Amino acid sequence: MIRKTDETPIGRVVATELKPATPHQFHFWTATETSIGIGAIVKVLGPGAGDLGSGRIVYGVVTDGFAYSDLVTPLHDVIGAEGDPARAAESPTERPEIRLWTAAVLRQIPEEPLQPVPLGAVHVATDADVAAALRMDAYLNTAQPTAIPVGLYESGGLEAPVYLDADFLLGPEAAHLNISGVSGLATKTSAVEFLLSSIFHHYPAHRGSVAALCFNVKGPDLLFLDQPGAADDSDRRRYARLGIAPGPFERVRYFAPFKADGVNLNTLRTHPDLAQSVEPLVWGLTEVLDFAEVLLNRDDIDAKADAFIDFLGDRVVRREFADGFGGEHRVETFADLERLFRSIFDGLELAGRGDIWRTHHIATIRKVRNRLGNVSTRCKGLVTDDGPASDLPWGRFEDRGVYVIDVANVDPLGQDLVFARVVSKLREHLERRDLGVDAVVVFVDELNKYAPADGADTYVKKMLLDISERGRYLGLVLFGAEQFRSQVHRRVVGNAGTQVFGRMDSDELATPGYQVLSPATKIKLATLPVGELMVRHPHFTQPIFVRFPRPPVLRGRDGVERFPPAVDLLFADAVALQLVRLDARVRTNQVKDLIAGHEEMDVRRALAAVRRERPADALAMFRKRLGVRVASEPARERSPVQPLGPIAEEPY
Amino acid sequence: MNRGRGWLDGLYASGVTPASFLPDASLGHRHEPDEGAASSGVEVEIVEDAELRVHPVVASTAPDGMSFLDGIQQWKVIGYDRVQPIALAYVAAAVRRRDSGRRLATAAWAARQLVIAPTQVLDEGRRATLEEAGLEAVPVEVEAGTQPAQALEALRREVHRARAGLERQLGERAAGGLGPGDWLVVDGQVAVSATLAKHPRSIGVIKSHGAQFLTGRHLERALTIPAEHRTSGFRVRGGHGRTEVDSWYLRLWPWEGRDLHYGLIRVETARDDGRGTRAAELSGWLLAERAPLAAPDARFDRLLYPIHDVESYLRSRAPHHLMASPASRLPRTGT
Repeated sequence: MIRKTDETPIGRVVATELKPATPHQFHFWTATETSIGIGAIVKVLGPGAGDLGSGRIVYGVVTDGFAYSDLVTPLHDVIGAEGDPARAAESPTERPEIRLWTAAVLRQIPEEPLQPVPLGAVHVATDADVAAALRMDAYLNTAQPTAIPVGLYESGGLEAPVYLDADFLLGPEAAHLNISGVSGLATKTSAVEFLLSSIFHHYPAHRGSVAALCFNVKGPDLLFLDQPGAADDSDRRRYARLGIAPGPFERVRYFAPFKADGVNLNTLRTHPDLAQSVEPLVWGLTEVLDFAEVLLNRDDIDAKADAFIDFLGDRVVRREFADGFGGEHRVETFADLERLFRSIFDGLELAGRGDIWRTHHIATIRKVRNRLGNVSTRCKGLVTDDGPASDLPWGRFEDRGVYVIDVANVDPLGQDLVFARVVSKLREHLERRDLGVDAVVVFVDELNKYAPADGADTYVKKMLLDISERGRYLGLVLFGAEQFRSQVHRRVVGNAGTQVFGRMDSDELATPGYQVLSPATKIKLATLPVGELMVRHPHFTQPIFVRFPRPPVLRGRDGVERFPPAVDLLFADAVALQLVRLDARVRTNQVKDLIAGHEEMDVRRALAAVRRERPADALAMFRKRLGVRVASEPARERSPVQPLGPIAEEPY
Repeated sequence: MNRGRGWLDGLYASGVTPASFLPDASLGHRHEPDEGAASSGVEVEIVEDAELRVHPVVASTAPDGMSFLDGIQQWKVIGYDRVQPIALAYVAAAVRRRDSGRRLATAAWAARQLVIAPTQVLDEGRRATLEEAGLEAVPVEVEAGTQPAQALEALRREVHRARAGLERQLGERAAGGLGPGDWLVVDGQVAVSATLAKHPRSIGVIKSHGAQFLTGRHLERALTIPAEHRTSGFRVRGGHGRTEVDSWYLRLWPWEGRDLHYGLIRVETARDDGRGTRAAELSGWLLAERAPLAAPDARFDRLLYPIHDVESYLRSRAPHHLMASPASRLPRTGT
């Protein structure tokens, strides 16, 4: 519904020599009781403007407010009240007050020639005015609109939708979104969840398909995106106004590495009702080898070691390979690689051919063996020595799908590996246009930790910089969140076309990055209520405050209350449970009997194979993969050796 | 009030030398002293007590529906016909009313823009030019050969008369429209208007004390009353005001350490045979009007804030070209 212009002005532009109206700023006064506040959008009609004229129309957003009376010095008030504050309120006459507002120009019509704001009447903005003021008409009312609702501009009873331009949010014109705010009050995660929902509803068909990949880096934040959240009438009204059907995401897949035991998933989404929807994230040698440099110390990777790792990757792994000593190898796992290393060392020793194998020095080979051999130990649960990998559905990403990778409880090295590999794979597939979708939003929280302005260059930071700087051409879009924007790498935040701010810390607002904001805007940011955000977008010439409804999904902490995580199971029970999930006919006791006496490593390998292949008869395949248990034979009784008899004559 | 410059150009084209001169006190109105009242047939009768006494006053809340009347005058010399000055004047008056909200709102306003000059200067052609522009041409009788300074004084008196006339006119109209419980407070004497002087709910507040109605020990007692005290009521007949009124002195602020007249006002009301009962009540109301302080007006010790508010209102509506220039008359740099 488009509201027509309210003919009654609510203020009037004033200009003095000290406070002149300029092309970018103006001042106006209103009645003491007014609906205008910081962040309100107003319209100035210059002489001749409106339906009957062709004068200048100026849209502005209120950035500061002043109130004062005719009191010259506070001392006059003291004298008038004879030093008694109670008497000051009893004076028969109230001094006249002024409400003087400063507004920053959002848009002038006509745009050329750019002139100072006329001293005209000030009106509150309507829906249509908001669209015009924010230049949203360029992408909202076109044949192929690219508008994505980000929230509602609310002022004086008006609720006008505010839209972002998909071309500037998800590329290719600009891309990336960064959201800042204090923990707990800024509702950063909620805002991103809402925005993803909005994107999924409004991303235009002619722009292709879109998916989201979210790294859950703390607690249960993103673990219940498939569960409906609480919504009240005001939320439902806002959703209706924004044209979004409130509801949880329909296509969500969760991935989490195992814990060190290799069978319990390292996630808080382990409630029996939900656990089956979490898929293990397990990588083997082939997945990890390309990212060996992530896992190895910089000092470890000299040119020689790097060359040898490349050799392994290019010539050995997943190929039939002859070691030169008569051995044939097919290396697919760390265990296979270890066998190859042993073969090389034994061969060199037996052949006496010195210290060089295939131009690589044995010391280099030993060093690489040592470092790679430790990887599965250091990333236990994520990297497996043996057995098949379980990975994201590369090449089969679904439109409007959400892929959550829970790395909240993974150690930093494992997180490095996950970020590096996932982002690299996304980039590879998007470059080849075979990911399954045309664009992917990657959401990473805690950028203060993963892309700090100072500190060491980690692979996570490199990956985030890579997305920020080159992602928009590929459709690889970073939605980043952090508490202190000033302490995030400037190229990460600088490349974000859309900046969102929740409630901010006062100390953070005192940093140079916020100097462009007026003191009043800073105060508003420091006291912003939950559910309200300040948005900067390439089409908006000034920051705009918007309200968004609660996200349509269950919040993390509500989720763990409703679905408390299950306690870790014993090894045998965990294996049985996983098989039961694959095939309901499987009985726990059968599984326990089967695995009794087997090495845990063998059980994990068999389980992984069943999980990957998902056969009709899970137990049969598990039994087959597990192999026959070799019964131990009792040791034969041996006749004891009789002791020598004493030799009496023996003198010793 | 913006009539453009056409008439001014026409005036200059007719032989008037352009000028821009703000005579002293041309931007406000300084009340004419209550000239000659004490010495020209004024009769004073103490009506409240046997002799003039001093009474303590307790501040009290005035009723809703209080109106306040004041006026301003601004003028400047805009040209000379040979040596005779021609002045552009602006006079305005307003009534601002206070209801239960403690805020003042304008109830009545009137203004006049005049061109005042010696009669011989304002010939028919010039008058026609002014009248076409909607200005009032006001000739002032000045004898030929009069010094320009004396002519200026005659113009000033005419401006004063115009302002006082407008105030009186607006005050009488406002008094006529007062409701049963409403009051009108006038900045100055009510005695100058028979209507006001006879209205039972009009109050005149006089800040200047050029005229003295008392003599001897009565005068000494009146001028030395302490703060929050008043004199007995006395009745004034004759003099500058032609209508009999009751009056008394009221001290708003302590004068010790300052000036004899500091914080001292004289109050005029219509004759009342209640023998002082109204003086006590009205003094309480006026005493309460000390707050808020009318600063930064230099007369804040005697100027009631609502009257100050009326002046501020009138100044905000006054034409800009009559406002004071900064201290220097050098051209401004524009920054």
